[in-house]
Amino acid sequence: MSAAAGEQIVLRDVSKRYETASGTVPAVEDVNIAVRAREFVALLGPSGCGKSTVLGMIGGLVRPDAGRVSIDGVAVTGPDPRKVALAFQDPGLFPWRTALDNVGFGLELQGVPAARRREIARALLEPMGLRGFEAKYPRELSGGMRQRVAIARALALETPIVLMDEPFGALDEQTRILMGEWLVGIRARTHKTIVFVTHSLQEAIALSDRIVVMTARPGRVKDVVDVPLPFPRNVNAPEVVDLRAKLWEQVREESLKALDIRL
Amino acid sequence: MKILAWRAALLLGALAAWEALARPLSPVLYVAPSRLPAAFSRIAAVNDMPPLGAHAWLTLEEVAAAYALAVSAGLWLGFLLGLRRTVGRIYEPLLAAVYAIPSVVWYPSLMLFFGLGPASKIAFGFLLGFFPVALSVLAGIRQVPQHLITVAVSMGARPGAVFRKVMLPAMASTMVGGLRAGLALSVVGVLVGEILGARAGLGYVINYAYGLLMTGEYAALVLIVGAAVLTIDATGAWLESRVRRWTT
Amino acid sequence: MDHVIAPDRRQWPRATVAAAQLASVAGAVLVWETAVRLRVADPLFVPTPSAVAAAVFSGGAETLPRLCDTLLKALSGYALAVVIGVTAGLVIGSRRMLHDVAMPFVVALYGIPKILVLPWIALVFGLGLSTAVLTAALFAVFPIALMVAAGTRDVDPSLITVARSMGATRRQIEIKILLPAVLPSVLAGMRVGMVFAMLGVLLAEMFAGVRGMGFLMQRMAMSFKAAELFAATLIVSTLSIAVVLLLEHVNHRLGRWR
Repeated sequence: MSAAAGEQIVLRDVSKRYETASGTVPAVEDVNIAVRAREFVALLGPSGCGKSTVLGMIGGLVRPDAGRVSIDGVAVTGPDPRKVALAFQDPGLFPWRTALDNVGFGLELQGVPAARRREIARALLEPMGLRGFEAKYPRELSGGMRQRVAIARALALETPIVLMDEPFGALDEQTRILMGEWLVGIRARTHKTIVFVTHSLQEAIALSDRIVVMTARPGRVKDVVDVPLPFPRNVNAPEVVDLRAKLWEQVREESLKALDIRL
Repeated sequence: MKILAWRAALLLGALAAWEALARPLSPVLYVAPSRLPAAFSRIAAVNDMPPLGAHAWLTLEEVAAAYALAVSAGLWLGFLLGLRRTVGRIYEPLLAAVYAIPSVVWYPSLMLFFGLGPASKIAFGFLLGFFPVALSVLAGIRQVPQHLITVAVSMGARPGAVFRKVMLPAMASTMVGGLRAGLALSVVGVLVGEILGARAGLGYVINYAYGLLMTGEYAALVLIVGAAVLTIDATGAWLESRVRRWTT
Repeated sequence: MDHVIAPDRRQWPRATVAAAQLASVAGAVLVWETAVRLRVADPLFVPTPSAVAAAVFSGGAETLPRLCDTLLKALSGYALAVVIGVTAGLVIGSRRMLHDVAMPFVVALYGIPKILVLPWIALVFGLGLSTAVLTAALFAVFPIALMVAAGTRDVDPSLITVARSMGATRRQIEIKILLPAVLPSVLAGMRVGMVFAMLGVLLAEMFAGVRGMGFLMQRMAMSFKAAELFAATLIVSTLSIAVVLLLEHVNHRLGRWR
């Protein structure tokens, strides 16, 4: 299967089912997505639509039941820390390690010597506003700080692709918005390919080049919307307002289906 | 501060009540606290009593052997059942069933098999101490947050690395709790074995005093052994809290 | 350890697991029987399972009355421990000051191996019924009291606030709010207490008994009656497991609202 020019991540006719105690649940069905190198793609959709499953498949944590997931033309068979790094909604910091040692974890797995690990970790934490917090333990950090450390840990692997599963979901609105701006800055500097799962239209519009809208379970691709606006984005610009209205129409329909509510 | 004062008052009050109740009663059966200092010195003097030091050392050796066995077997079985799901599903209920049996029923069989010497005490101490260790390993594995494992795997960690760098630190405080409980039980096992029938050891000395109706010395011995056990357990508790603070 | 890393896999159905358990036990018995027959293990010390089975049935006349004796003593001691332990637990757990002051002492007493006190109890109360019952009570009272105290302390204070705002007296709060709220802890403590009570009785019987299973087993050990001893061990073990299962069932029934 050949990838079209510039396509780095390709999902072709991908489906996934989960076995639960009460039977088989389809998570995603016939999903086709292509992400180009250095793109910021948002996966948007209601709860349970399979966005996290898609991310898991790209990251090699979940195996599809049908279809193919490939990166640079090579099928994904498991986690590949040389190509893909993940950040989750739950920062998942190891409570027994300091912020510095948490950031260095991936490098430790690859056998990078301790001094070099600490150097890289410090260099990552400093521009995040965490200078002075390197020796702190996760329980001593706020939610926003923990998430920054978790993202630093993912960035430390220096992979071309970073996958993020609602990383700012547990934060309050102000922190969320600021973290979004910060992420845009990181991306501008590092030119990574980012696939970002969110259920927030606001976030999707503020951060991404393209938005993949997914349906309610079983998740399929409902629409793909381009966001050809320059950064930084003005929340109140007319184009943004239009786009939000258009997206909301689609997402609302799917959200209602997911909640099974009739209004 | 006020609490400490109350505790001291409670302790002194209890001692006073004990003295008041025991003094007028038969000295053979009831030991008033005032008799204790004399009893301590008699024990130390080794005149009518077997040498406490030698017997205490033997008991210590038995406990060490029993505990070493309990920890090795307990960790081995705990990890075997915890890391291999099918094996665990089959044998953990069997383990839990055996745990429901009052441990002392095994002792006569152990005595029959190993005799009255240290071997039966070590065997019994091992039997008692083994369960908390094994069960705490199982519980520890179970409470490792799945998410931390997912994070590690997503960064390319192999099973060996996941075990060493994620599971072990995450299980550490639960395991140390089990190791501590195992030590306490190994001690109890050895002491029970010695009291139920032995030719040497602290339990034997206690029986000796009791048999000769040397109630004062017996009471003093109970306090000494009791204090020793509490000290050992307190050390264990301190270690456990250290590990817990370091890993959570 | 795959199931820990990727919990996505399928597991054996319950029936297969049960079959495997049965097969393991049967297999172990078979190996045991063969080992003794082939003289790998000395039959004087390790009886064959067949001999043990025979002893279980033939020893009935001697074993049954002693079993009942042991069980009765355990239940009496247990009842005593429940009364004292639950009361003490409720009292200590509900009074903050008392709890903070007294708790370290209770825990310390719990930490001292109670076997040390057994000779004294035997000295004062003689060889027989009272010693066994008191030992059972002594062993059982601590876990009961500690669990009940913990359960009482953990009662959601907002429940009490609500009751008080509706004008409930202390007595009413204790009966209508505290009691149902601590019931799960009480039942949990009672389950553990039963095993400890049995432990206490058997220990007392082995150390200073004239009747009961503990005494019988000690005697069998001394006279090298291996098969009878194993049979007795098996019977007492089965009895304990049965008692624990019964208490678990009762606990499950009573605690269904959780």
